[in-house]
Amino acid sequence: MFQPLDPLLHAELRLAVMSLLISADEAEFPYIKEQTGATAGNLSVQVDKLSAAGYIEVEKTFKGKRPCTICRITDKGRKAFEAYVEALKSYLSK
Amino acid sequence: MEENKNLTAERSLEIITEQIERSQRTITKNSALPLMWWGVCVIIFAPLIAYLWKNHGGPIWNTLWAVMWLIGFIGNWLIDKKKETVPTTFVSKTIGHVWSTFGLFCGGIGILFCLIGTGVLPLKLIIPNAYIFSCITSIISLCFGMSTCITGRIIQNLLIQRCGFIAGLGGFFTALFFSSYQQLYVMAGVTIIALIIPGVVIHIQNKK
Repeated sequence: MFQPLDPLLHAELRLAVMSLLISADEAEFPYIKEQTGATAGNLSVQVDKLSAAGYIEVEKTFKGKRPCTICRITDKGRKAFEAYVEALKSYLSK
Repeated sequence: MEENKNLTAERSLEIITEQIERSQRTITKNSALPLMWWGVCVIIFAPLIAYLWKNHGGPIWNTLWAVMWLIGFIGNWLIDKKKETVPTTFVSKTIGHVWSTFGLFCGGIGILFCLIGTGVLPLKLIIPNAYIFSCITSIISLCFGMSTCITGRIIQNLLIQRCGFIAGLGGFFTALFFSSYQQLYVMAGVTIIALIIPGVVIHIQNKK
């Protein structure tokens, strides 16, 4: 029986962002942009969606005089990611 | 990477694997310069201390290791500042813990032996049985090799694992054949195998 996949995570860019953040304490926006190869605009939209769902926390701060956006995964996000991977297994084992 | 409603389970798994591997590659890439830097520090200081020990006043020159640690940390801090910003991950934290534990143990042993060598502490207080032969270079080589080998295992790099194994065991037994300042040349050799070779190889791989 296939388990339902979280629609919020079942999108390439959002899944890539969550996969990056799952093993990191926190990551800066430019790093995520570089690693995922996404455009700043698209990434910003997807980060907002993850943040609105409570999967990640977004902190806007400064690095010297330059603005800096830091993303980190929340407990809710971690659990959702684990559930997504579990659900994924049911598809792959078929 | 655009949003894709027809994302398959296989592609999802690919994305997750790809991101994890990518972050591991970045950690490996960033480890090349610190490995080489610390290697160069030891390669300069070990023969220098050996020379001074032999020709200018004995083992007291081992206190120069403290100077090396200071220069090493300053250089490492500068390398950290210049390299690309990478988030702290479980892997990078574990590697940091492995090397800080190595520093703690070797630093502790080094300080105790320095205190004995300079007469601040009596030998019998640390080594009650005079028949027990204690070779600091063997112990440090073993710790060195183990730390390198564990680092290699964490970042799944076979070359670093092999270098650590050879440096640790090779240094442990080779140092037993030498005494006093001559052991420092063994330490330099251990450093070439445990730090310089892995660092240079990773650096070349990064350039490709």
